[in-house]
Amino acid sequence: MHGFLIYLMKRFGQFLFVVFTGVTLSFLIAHFSPVDPIEQTVSLLTSFGNTDPRSVELLRESLRELYGTGGSLLDQYFTFWGRVLTGDFGPSLSAFPTPVSTVIGRALPWTVGLLTLATLFSWTLGNLFGALAGYFRDNRPLKVLGVFVMSMQPIPTYIVGLSMIIVFGYLWPVLPISGGAQLNLEPGFTWEYVSSVIVHGTLPALTLVCVGLGGWFISMRSLVSNIVTEDHVVYAELAGVPGRTMFSQYVARNAMLPQVTGLALTLGHVFGGAVIVEFVFNYPGMGKLLVAGIYAGDYSLVLGVTTIAIIAVATAVFIIDVLYPLIDPRVKLG
Amino acid sequence: MKFLRTIAVAAVASLLALPALAQDFIAGIPRNEALIIQGPTAQNADWFNIWAPGGGATTNGTQQLSADTFWFINPEGGPNPWQNALATEPPIYNADFTEMTVKLRQGVYWSDGVEFTADDVVYTVQTLIDHPGMNWAAAFGVNVASVEAPDRDTVVFKLKAPNSRFHALFTVRWNAAWIMPKHIFEKVADPLAYDFNPPVSLSAYVLHSYDKAGNWTIWKLRDDWQRTTIGMDWGQPQVKYVVYRAAGNPEARVIEQRNHNLDVINDITPEGMFSIMKDNPSAAAWLAGFPYAHPDPTLPSVLFNTKKAPFDNKDVRWALALLIDIRAVALGSYRGAANLSALATPPTGSAPEDYFVPMQDWLTNFELDTGTRKIKPYDPTIAEQLAKMVRPQWGDQIPTDPEQLKRTFGFGWWKQDVQAATELLQKAGFTKQGNRWMKPDGTPFTIRVQVEGDAIPTLARAGTAIAQQWTQAGIDAKVDVAGPTHGQRLGTGDFETVIAWSIETWGGHPDLSFFLDSYHSEFIKPVGEIQPPRNLQRWEDPRLDEIIERNRTVAFDAPEVKQLGQDFLKLAVEEMPMIPLMAYNKFAPFDTTYWTNYPSIDNPYSASGPNWSNIRYMVVSLKAATPAAQ
Amino acid sequence: MKILIDLLRYNREFLVGAIFLAVILALVVASFFAPYDEMMTYVVIPDMPPSAEYWLGTNSRGQDLFWQLAASMRNTLMFGVVVALVSRVIAITVGLVSGYLGGRVDQVIMAINDTLNALPNIPILLLLVFVLRDQMSWPILAVTAALLGWQHDSRLIRSVALSLRNREFTRQAVFSGMRTGKILFREHLPYVMPIVFYTTMNNLIWAIGLEVTLSILGFSDINRPTIGGMIYWANAHSAMVAGIWWWIAVPMVFVVILFLGLFMLAMSVNEYIDPRSRLARMGA
Repeated sequence: MHGFLIYLMKRFGQFLFVVFTGVTLSFLIAHFSPVDPIEQTVSLLTSFGNTDPRSVELLRESLRELYGTGGSLLDQYFTFWGRVLTGDFGPSLSAFPTPVSTVIGRALPWTVGLLTLATLFSWTLGNLFGALAGYFRDNRPLKVLGVFVMSMQPIPTYIVGLSMIIVFGYLWPVLPISGGAQLNLEPGFTWEYVSSVIVHGTLPALTLVCVGLGGWFISMRSLVSNIVTEDHVVYAELAGVPGRTMFSQYVARNAMLPQVTGLALTLGHVFGGAVIVEFVFNYPGMGKLLVAGIYAGDYSLVLGVTTIAIIAVATAVFIIDVLYPLIDPRVKLG
Repeated sequence: MKFLRTIAVAAVASLLALPALAQDFIAGIPRNEALIIQGPTAQNADWFNIWAPGGGATTNGTQQLSADTFWFINPEGGPNPWQNALATEPPIYNADFTEMTVKLRQGVYWSDGVEFTADDVVYTVQTLIDHPGMNWAAAFGVNVASVEAPDRDTVVFKLKAPNSRFHALFTVRWNAAWIMPKHIFEKVADPLAYDFNPPVSLSAYVLHSYDKAGNWTIWKLRDDWQRTTIGMDWGQPQVKYVVYRAAGNPEARVIEQRNHNLDVINDITPEGMFSIMKDNPSAAAWLAGFPYAHPDPTLPSVLFNTKKAPFDNKDVRWALALLIDIRAVALGSYRGAANLSALATPPTGSAPEDYFVPMQDWLTNFELDTGTRKIKPYDPTIAEQLAKMVRPQWGDQIPTDPEQLKRTFGFGWWKQDVQAATELLQKAGFTKQGNRWMKPDGTPFTIRVQVEGDAIPTLARAGTAIAQQWTQAGIDAKVDVAGPTHGQRLGTGDFETVIAWSIETWGGHPDLSFFLDSYHSEFIKPVGEIQPPRNLQRWEDPRLDEIIERNRTVAFDAPEVKQLGQDFLKLAVEEMPMIPLMAYNKFAPFDTTYWTNYPSIDNPYSASGPNWSNIRYMVVSLKAATPAAQ
Repeated sequence: MKILIDLLRYNREFLVGAIFLAVILALVVASFFAPYDEMMTYVVIPDMPPSAEYWLGTNSRGQDLFWQLAASMRNTLMFGVVVALVSRVIAITVGLVSGYLGGRVDQVIMAINDTLNALPNIPILLLLVFVLRDQMSWPILAVTAALLGWQHDSRLIRSVALSLRNREFTRQAVFSGMRTGKILFREHLPYVMPIVFYTTMNNLIWAIGLEVTLSILGFSDINRPTIGGMIYWANAHSAMVAGIWWWIAVPMVFVVILFLGLFMLAMSVNEYIDPRSRLARMGA
């Protein structure tokens, strides 16, 4: 147990290192952005409206003061860490003076809900069919399914989403194609609201499953078809182990290791994958927020989103590392 | 594989069960009482304070349906473009334009039952001046020496310097300085940090509910709608609820309207528009036939950075203009559905009568010196040529009357004249080596054509068409998509040429000061520093300054305004600081399933753009298509 | 050569895969013989559906989709291959070395790996595109994408290598005095080859998807025809709702063909490399 504790400590140290470096890097990158939040606000206020050149300059000056975008990079860096540690990312510049944490807090549940569910679905289905297809290699329906799933995979997410909109929104208009829930509905744990959220999430989730299924399917199939020929499996087969036990205990289980790793990592990457789907379905999540933040030059917001993303990935990796020795006994604690 | 079969059956069954999931589009509101308009996504949906930056979407109905100010101008022109709102009559200036008096309407109430008075106006101006971070604060700070309310229906502004256009601050073309409720804001510690939620309305509608995620906002007709300026002038509105909703990308918008879930669209691609007009029998548009489009009073042009060589040379600018085949640009950008303009003012609203018709003779006789000869570059038959090109596809929809064609496709443009362009470039010291133009210093002539990109696809398409024509003429032209850095690069002069607009007008009024005043050379900054809007081409000319200074001293409605406008337009043709292309045509179809009486070219009683504050006059004039709603 | 003929004759998957890839390669070759400049618009009648004259139809910009596709395929493939190659080299090296050496070295490498992995790709690429602007050519974008696209795979490879480390045959190889490089290359690489193959394909798809994503968000060089660029322009003309379906279908179908070809090829080659699986096929 002592050894495991040391292992745990080491991994935790690594976790901290990952978060620190990652956040620092994105801080620097975000500050390289040539989009100036002040200019974005100014042009928002001056486009279409009446503008007097002198007033625009005054406006610019007062905004600079208000947003506090002055100060050296190092100063801003320390301020930023101070804020991160207290769980506050300062005011959003494109939603001034609302705190970034509030803005993110609104979008977070949508993305986490949608992507976690969709990822779990595609992982389970992909692995199940992949393992079956790798094990029963001569099964015709499975082969057809394989070709179909694989043909879906390289189609860009955007096109899959758009096709869904055309099919289920226009040709056979049965599902909502935009937004997170019905208009004019009070959020809450009511049947009405929850069902509305599920119905609105169907097409985005379906899109994600279609796009994600193939990867899991293919990797699982090749892993299984490799294991099938390994000595212990051949031996078990000769020893007369029943088919079902063979499949689940000898083959699938051994192939799961990289797949579990992959799942944890994908779940960590939930935020990155959301951008296009949220864009297509006008879904009120983090991906949309991130793109909006980049467009507005709102680096407080961009940093807030990326920091959360980095922590999510680092946590996923940490958990895998901790669980690894438990899943694969051959791995010795280093 | 029994297992597989089970899954297949389950999948088919769940697919068939889908229609059972269908829900009403809006919960709890009858569809035939609601008008659904395409709105923005609000970054910070809780924010309704339109006097502070805040990140709330001011165009989600807040400025269109709940705010009010002194005057409105109908950008479409129409019989009476000027509309008195909170004021009872147009502004009253003293002789030297240092004082403006406004007479206010009586009996107007805020939605919480408090009466609107001159105190609200004084409070608004004073508060904005005291808080420099607030919108319009700077404009008031620069102009206003003092503001007083001698009685509850009168406001007097004393100005720091003569300004015959001070009232423009309170005149809505797209928006204007809105009046704040004193009784609410005076209790707030910091008006800059106050979200004004729920907002108190001064107009006919009041906030009903909104989405925290910023996707929709619903407004409800006030019970006491009679006690607003709209109720007094326009009678009882039939629309009970107005829904502003973000409706996704252009394809999704087309589908939403076909499914009758989106009554008013802000903008889609020309192709999307054509498909709606073809497949949706309940669709209506500004123009009943091709090109269907609504021209905004903004003028997409090829802007030159006149501070960068060789674009500082008028001959080069003219040569580049003459290399353009405008018909190909119209086809490439708008599938021919473009309203062309050779003059530096959008051919919309009252501009055809004020400028385009009177100036046709001058344009036809305009002579350009190419260095070797004089040519007359103007071609008044462009509209007919364009009509001929699209007639095979659209047939009878294209009018045959030349006068009507001019209103749809434009009055004329410059003939493509490669020979004249060659002479002009040679005059400017350029040489041709093989098929490539070399600059006077011997290096190849390259041009970057900046476009914003996806946000305005039609202009990106125009940019590609123009770059291609220049390339074919031997100039190495490339399109550069600037995305969100577009505005900034315009401001700092970080471009060579760009497809954008630097000219916007009232639409319903001949006065050009709306953009022209900012063209004065006193505002020009060196490249690298930020040029205030709108003289983005940094055009500098003593004759231009003269026109602007003269215009500042004449009254808004003086007849001389038109003369000065014509002088400006002539100067802009001679100097060609930007190549005006066309009106910014927007494809904004309406759905008549639930509402009718939308504005059109034959009945231009109001603006119809969802973001334009003037749309409020459209909202209250719509008629229910289904009598059951009554 | 004989192997190739054998494969073609006896392995149906290899044959189909080879045919698919041949189609794609033929397109790429054809792109060099295009009758018009691929950047020019309005050279043919716009909006023509596929026909004998225009095999794949024409788009709303007056371009023949066949020649557009050929040029796009060439450019996109070049991008994808560069990304995949560069990132594969990194992923394999890092994964095998880290997994084999284990201990402290493994920890350090994985810490760096995870740090890079934790960085969100899309914002970094978007910001980079902004910053570099005119200098942002496709090779730079490809290398950047490659640098962002190997961590996931190297971790997968490492996880297999980690379990190989404690296996009997590795120990035997070490005791028999084999050099580390040789052990990795000879003994461990074949085991991770299946992973390498499918991650290569995934990576290629990811790279193409990245290109498409950047294009759709409007962050690519729209002058240069690519698969993403075709979709961008189709989008800018609302091709889907305007009924010009072939404008979107054509790039999509050919990306699928490319991918299926690669997949089948990889699968059959995989069998060839791993003799046990070949024996199984023969009915052992």
